[in-house]
Amino acid sequence: MKKEKFTIVTFLCNWCSYEGADRAGSARLNCPANIRVIRVMCSGRVEPQFVIQAFRDGASGVLILGCHPGDCHYKKGNYKARRRIILLKKTLKQFGIEQDRVRLDWVSASEGTRFAKIANEMADTIKQLGPLSELEALN
Amino acid sequence: MQERIGVFVCKCSTNIGNKIDVDSIVSDVSNIENVVTAKSHNVLCSNEGLEFLMNEIREGNLSRMVIAACTPKMYEQRFMNVCEASGLNPYLFQMTNIREQVAWVTPDKDLATEKAKTLCLAAINRISFQESIEKKEIEVQPDVLVIGGGVAGIEATLTLTSRGRKIILVEEDDDSGTPELKQSAQFRKVYLVEKSPCIAGFSGRFEEVYQTMECAPCMLAPELQEVLQKDNVETLTYSEVEEIVGSFGNFTVKIRRKARYVSEEACIGCNACFEPCPVEVMNQNNLGLSKRKAIYIPYAGALPNVPVIDKENCLHLNGKECNACEQACAFGAINFEDKEQIIERNVGAIILAIGSKLSDPTQYPQFGYGKFDNVLSAIQIERLNATNGPTGGKILLKNGQEPKSIAFIYCVGRKEIGYCSGICCMYMSALAQHVKEKLPDVKIYSFYTDLCLPKKEHQRIFEKVLNKGVEFIRSDGSEYVDSDGKQLIVKYKIESSKKSQLIDMVVLAPPIEPNQDIEKLAKLLEIPLDENGFFSEEHILMKPYAAPLEGVFIAGTCQGPKDIGDSVSQASAAAGKILSKLMLGEKLELEPIVAEIDEEICCGCNICIGLCPFSAINRDSERNIAIIDDTLCRGCGTCVAACPSGATKARNFTLEQISAEIREVAK
Amino acid sequence: MAKPKVAFYWCASCGGCEEAIVDLNEDILKVVELVDIVFWPCAMDFKYQDVRNMKDNEITVAFINGAIRTDEQEEMANLLRKKSQLVIAFGACSHMGGIPGLANFWDKETIFESSYGKDCPSVDNPDNIVPLTISSVPEGELKLPAFHNTVKSLDQVIDVDYYIPGCSPAPYLTMKAIGAILAGELPKKGTVLAPEKSLCDVCERNETKPEKMSLTKIKRISEVIADPEKCFLAEGIICLGPVTIAGCTNEGSGRCITANMPCRGCYGPPPKITDVGVKMISALASIIGLEGEENMSEEEVEQLMSQIEDPAGYFYRFSLPKSLLRRKRMN
Repeated sequence: MKKEKFTIVTFLCNWCSYEGADRAGSARLNCPANIRVIRVMCSGRVEPQFVIQAFRDGASGVLILGCHPGDCHYKKGNYKARRRIILLKKTLKQFGIEQDRVRLDWVSASEGTRFAKIANEMADTIKQLGPLSELEALN
Repeated sequence: MQERIGVFVCKCSTNIGNKIDVDSIVSDVSNIENVVTAKSHNVLCSNEGLEFLMNEIREGNLSRMVIAACTPKMYEQRFMNVCEASGLNPYLFQMTNIREQVAWVTPDKDLATEKAKTLCLAAINRISFQESIEKKEIEVQPDVLVIGGGVAGIEATLTLTSRGRKIILVEEDDDSGTPELKQSAQFRKVYLVEKSPCIAGFSGRFEEVYQTMECAPCMLAPELQEVLQKDNVETLTYSEVEEIVGSFGNFTVKIRRKARYVSEEACIGCNACFEPCPVEVMNQNNLGLSKRKAIYIPYAGALPNVPVIDKENCLHLNGKECNACEQACAFGAINFEDKEQIIERNVGAIILAIGSKLSDPTQYPQFGYGKFDNVLSAIQIERLNATNGPTGGKILLKNGQEPKSIAFIYCVGRKEIGYCSGICCMYMSALAQHVKEKLPDVKIYSFYTDLCLPKKEHQRIFEKVLNKGVEFIRSDGSEYVDSDGKQLIVKYKIESSKKSQLIDMVVLAPPIEPNQDIEKLAKLLEIPLDENGFFSEEHILMKPYAAPLEGVFIAGTCQGPKDIGDSVSQASAAAGKILSKLMLGEKLELEPIVAEIDEEICCGCNICIGLCPFSAINRDSERNIAIIDDTLCRGCGTCVAACPSGATKARNFTLEQISAEIREVAK
Repeated sequence: MAKPKVAFYWCASCGGCEEAIVDLNEDILKVVELVDIVFWPCAMDFKYQDVRNMKDNEITVAFINGAIRTDEQEEMANLLRKKSQLVIAFGACSHMGGIPGLANFWDKETIFESSYGKDCPSVDNPDNIVPLTISSVPEGELKLPAFHNTVKSLDQVIDVDYYIPGCSPAPYLTMKAIGAILAGELPKKGTVLAPEKSLCDVCERNETKPEKMSLTKIKRISEVIADPEKCFLAEGIICLGPVTIAGCTNEGSGRCITANMPCRGCYGPPPKITDVGVKMISALASIIGLEGEENMSEEEVEQLMSQIEDPAGYFYRFSLPKSLLRRKRMN
């Protein structure tokens, strides 16, 4: 059974990318409605578990945005996020989940245009991949 | 207890109202369990809106509240204040952004409404897992340690100690019962630790400093005197910091006081002890251009005006029979039995102002420094020019004659170290100007590749020098210095054509380098150095005065090359931050959103410890667990994400809270 | 008063859990004195019908080991649930799916293909005969239990009261559990009857590791001779100790550790962890490449992580069916 609609759970860090998303709003840039935002203090707070939970709970994609390398409000949280997501994606592949369903990128507080661009790209990627299939029959 | 959740959706006039079907959201969420009130409002952030919220919280006896409106970056704090004023813990409130991140970016009203509804449901889901958080205050030590007695350290010390706090005590008079007012004052104490025997630092001894060409000792004298005389400043010269433990608000510092062998209390600074001392050694202050005795003060006018006995060279201290200085002293100030001691002080904050140094030009052999006489570093010609210098202010060649031509070579070593020291162009201009004043007929060539003249006075000073007939030659940075046996030759290239210039004297502008003590201090405090070896700042633009460790500040050239004015500004900023954070008589309010560790679960695996960017996590070896210092934690949550046993929790961003949001938005 | 009745049953397992009961040694005699064993197919001759004939809740406690992968196992699990007051998931497979649970990286079709198909190197099966649930023979129909597509832990099939973890459970934990049942001193339903803290808490090597853990080289235990005293993880050998509860021994560092092997995670996670693997991913990725992280390019990070060749297999070795994703999506 395939779902028609899909959602992209989006984690934004409080200091840069959340403001970047706000900036996209102030500039009235169109962003896909299936981008659903959860605010965290730092991309370093995003546990790989959140990503897996999002998939389990029905998301077709997960987008994680943090401050650009070197600009993290907490200095180095984004580097940890990067390492975790790279290892997670490797693991997800073994679970049959396409690596492109997870994207980690950087958006600064002033980059409204960049936020909108990434959001739209992500939606296009997921549209192409299709919604994440339901789990195989368990029996 | 049954939760009573209130949900309020703001229309933001037409901003949200026209783009999202607010009423349908309100009617949908009002059916959710525990939601006792769901209402829309036209402008929640208005005074009327805030009053409306206050009434709703109070009269609805709400135990939790969700607001869907604009970005929390705008009015979250305002709404939290309303919660507090209405008796609701502000952390039992959640805000979701349906304006910037929904209404303004989603043209289709149905899609926008659906998305906004999802976000509201997520916030309602989340709010059930939120916990009230109480603000925590700790007792703090208002005193401050300033390391480094140069201009930055002096400025910081004076700013920190300028005002005390008046304390009025009301005491009942035992006999009559009438209240009696007693006034006293509390002052912040500053411990100023300086490694050398005197304060004023490196630049504080120069006779003429740009931009005003003022005499630095004269300029600084009143400030230095004030520092030395203030009751609430303890100046510890000839001392070094050996150990620092603790955290913002409560550091314990161990300071090593080297033996001076001259009592600071007894000595009156008459200098009668110098003359009888039979030992002569090179005077480092004049960079080996003159000599001093084994009992000495670093330079005339140095403060405190108390000599120090140089342990290496003093005959008495090396087992020989000599007590010439002791006999010469009429005040009994000489104490050969003086011993080094370790003293301990408690402070709430630390300012690092240890300065920097000029790099040794022998590192750049192409300039012939150390190889040819008459190749001088900028600091040496400054000494020649100074009235307290080795020649009494005469600019002379090694053979005692006046130079007829001088080459000033800028940007020595800049390419090698990879940064511009920023002040050399100016001090070279100042030096050229002095030389030109003393030797009007001297021919000066200034070899430069780039000029750095960023401040409002710099261009003018440069032009003045230019007008005095100093010839500026822009080469490609490949200058080198040779000699024909009689004279020096500066060889250089302009647009790849080779040129050379015969010259009597060469003056080099070497780069500013980090002080040799910087690594030791960085290690003591576990704070990082930048790629050039200077202290890293917490944020180079927004917090250039703070080290990336709460309670530790940086001022002056230990953060990077800068001039006196910038050092003073930075020192004032650092001191000002401390004044505003460590108020006399007040407690320190801690960041409420921090991480905490469940000691019953933590297994002491150490994975979190190295991850903390603020060194807030430490190992308790006895209990085999990690502990978080909540005076240092900023609540980023990176340790929480890493904790393999689930022992760590990020307040207000717990796994349960975020999972509750995920469940709703992932659908 | 009649003695309490106890049942033991095995599902998809290796038999090690039965051994773990036998490993109670003389203690088993004490147990037999205090209880009646009413069902233990591995050791004594009982028929399923004996259990069907019992009254509901007649059995005081059923210890069920092994994961659930066939109809028969699921049926017996349900039957024992009905007849027992308490059901204890015994051992890693019934607790989390265990080693058989790794089959969830494939499906029934691929497993049959590799077990019976023409490419299977150890089977000569030119007619491609595969087991069928129902086979018709002249004498009638032969039935085999159906093979499920996905392996499950016991609690994904029936309601489980307690868990005794481990591959296999340490005898002292079993004795303690039996003691608690007989004394009626059981904790909250759903509890794993083992210590709550992770293995590092008791590991004698824990003191040897630096405060700041930072790894660059990941070594496989098969490629190196591990230092018998140093923390495996600090040495770059992946050890699941931080994410696995202690309990495999009641003295010293743990069974595998004492044998100079890193922890593989058979005792499962501490109470607050729902998914072992993803927690280990986060913890490990945090410390791999920590030193100098700010100067690392994405490619360098990729390279560092590529040292872990089979993260899913390594981190979910015992817990795949119980993980958040439960199995691979086959598409």
